[in-house]
Amino acid sequence: MTRLPPLSIAAVILATLFLGDIVAADEWGTIKGKFVFGGAPPSAGELKVDKDPEVCGKHKLLAEELVVGADKGIANVVVFVRDKDVKVNPEAAKAAAAKVTLDNKDCRFDPHVAFVQVGQDLVVKNSDTVGHNSNIATVKNPPSNNLIPAGGETAIKFTSDEAVPAQVTCNIHPWMKGWLVVRPNPYGAVSKADGTFEIKDVPVGEVELQFWHEKAGYLGEMTIGGKAEKASKGRKKVAVAAGGTDLGEILLAPAVFQK
Amino acid sequence: MRFTFIMAFVATAVGCGKTPPASFRLNMVQATKTAAPESGMEKPWSSWANDRQKQVATILEAMYGTPDAPVALAETGLDLAKLQLAAGPVRSDIVGRKNGLYREHCAHCHGISGDGMGPTAAFLNPYPRDYRPGKYKFKSTWRDARPARDDLTRVLHDGVPGSSMPSFALLPPAKVDALVEYVRYLSMRGETELALYTYAEQELGVDDTMPTTKEFLVDEILTPIVEKWQGAEEARIPIAAVPTTLDFTKPGDDPANHESVARGRALFHGDGGCVKCHGVTALGDGQANDYDDWNKVIVEWGKEVAGGLGASQDDAGRAAWLHAATDVIEGDALRPRPIPPRNLRLGLYRGGRRPIDLYRRLYTGINGAPMPGVGPSGPGGKGSVADAEIWHIVNYIRSLPYEFDGELGADRPMVAKDRL
Repeated sequence: MTRLPPLSIAAVILATLFLGDIVAADEWGTIKGKFVFGGAPPSAGELKVDKDPEVCGKHKLLAEELVVGADKGIANVVVFVRDKDVKVNPEAAKAAAAKVTLDNKDCRFDPHVAFVQVGQDLVVKNSDTVGHNSNIATVKNPPSNNLIPAGGETAIKFTSDEAVPAQVTCNIHPWMKGWLVVRPNPYGAVSKADGTFEIKDVPVGEVELQFWHEKAGYLGEMTIGGKAEKASKGRKKVAVAAGGTDLGEILLAPAVFQK
Repeated sequence: MRFTFIMAFVATAVGCGKTPPASFRLNMVQATKTAAPESGMEKPWSSWANDRQKQVATILEAMYGTPDAPVALAETGLDLAKLQLAAGPVRSDIVGRKNGLYREHCAHCHGISGDGMGPTAAFLNPYPRDYRPGKYKFKSTWRDARPARDDLTRVLHDGVPGSSMPSFALLPPAKVDALVEYVRYLSMRGETELALYTYAEQELGVDDTMPTTKEFLVDEILTPIVEKWQGAEEARIPIAAVPTTLDFTKPGDDPANHESVARGRALFHGDGGCVKCHGVTALGDGQANDYDDWNKVIVEWGKEVAGGLGASQDDAGRAAWLHAATDVIEGDALRPRPIPPRNLRLGLYRGGRRPIDLYRRLYTGINGAPMPGVGPSGPGGKGSVADAEIWHIVNYIRSLPYEFDGELGADRPMVAKDRL
């Protein structure tokens, strides 16, 4: 057995110390919360379906720019971790291998707000019996506008993240509007119909979240756990605990959406 | 005679009637749109917004100069000699060569800043192109790519049929070249300005000022813009071989083309999706109330502002922003106009009438317009119509102006003689 020179021994010791550090930080927590509308739930207006009425007219299409459930939960609020250098949990990273589907279904975009990671496959498909086009207005990624015939699909990959969600529209059916969140990591969520969201496996410690909603833009004023907070550009620093961090009810005043 | 001459001299000397030097105008729509007030602002909104606009104007002047004295940073790859030939007031240089070509030929419609808002712009339909977003319609590159130099040269050479854009085929190639370079310069400048506003909106806090380091201005803001322009020459879409069942040297009703035209018609009504906007009749009477990207910005923001003015305004900053926005929409933008889909029975094609021109329009769609592409969105992708099949649609479109209207059957639109 050869003797290691003293420098290598030092390096090994240092490396061990360093690795030890990483292991200690390898703790992950889930951030969750629920967006609640601070007023009487607004009723969604019916959309004017004046193109392809024989197909699209069959569905009662409602405006989706502000969707508030019966229990006042707000759907489609976007939350993501803003830190660019955030460490990614290996389990959470696996999500990027799955395909994200954005469907043109019943003459609306399903889901209304889609979340996709950089490098992940986005399949834009058309389950309707009429042709659609999906005009994706990304800023940092090349914008695209492809015609997708009935039953057809196309795949897109993104090379850069988008600072704000990109709008998706269909020029053939002007009422169709959707959004696409493009993030560099899996740490983002879109609130569900009941207003809840969950971002899993975030490294323990402090992260900066950003809150966005299509009608309100950046959420600058929120009442979190009964405490009114101002968040410039919808940014808020949150401490992630090993057991998870529950932001509880995030109350949004109706005025926030009056834009 | 001598007296008049002296009087004229005196008038010039005291500055009577002297025009001030030309200056670039800021993109007020974007400057205001991206400067929505935030809670916690100490200054009144208007002076806060004014400060930010001054910062942007100073940066732009340092990077691009003025309309009379353009600057070409090495990183842009722009040719300063060409820019100087195109920039400035119309004048003769020391060897008697005419300078100031942009102002001589372009500025009255496209504006000093390339904003498409020259003095004649409001009277034209369609409006002149606004170069600032860097979007061009008629080109040989992928939809999202910038136009190659020869794409811009072609537009200058041929003009845009059906619009007010004339042909500049009588200008010597060196002058056309200088103008192409100047259009690229105005676009890069406009895109830089846009990128600064976007950065401010997304990254800067209320009290932050715009960074002015080289790392920020050149590496972060300018480089991505320049890369797109420099990459344009290599970003051409592939052109499929013309199928043997098709003969472009013969008219669409020639037996040699029957099969191809029938295939084109099937795609036009089927997977091509063309009927959705151009209509079953191909008269451009399908989806006809959409806007192009340039107009859509004004329409959508206009709606937001109008909605905001209708709501309660207890926030002074917000009220100031909304009123400034109203002024900008009315005073710094042309009244938005919908973009009707092209009537394909006229045989008039803005981007050129050659089969290759129509192929390119179909393949990528028309950048900036609602028209989607039937080809793939990028290299290696898959379109809704196979590349070679696009030629059949081209053939069908070329046959449309000559199709008997009896062939339209029940879809034939009502004309005056039907009503009598």
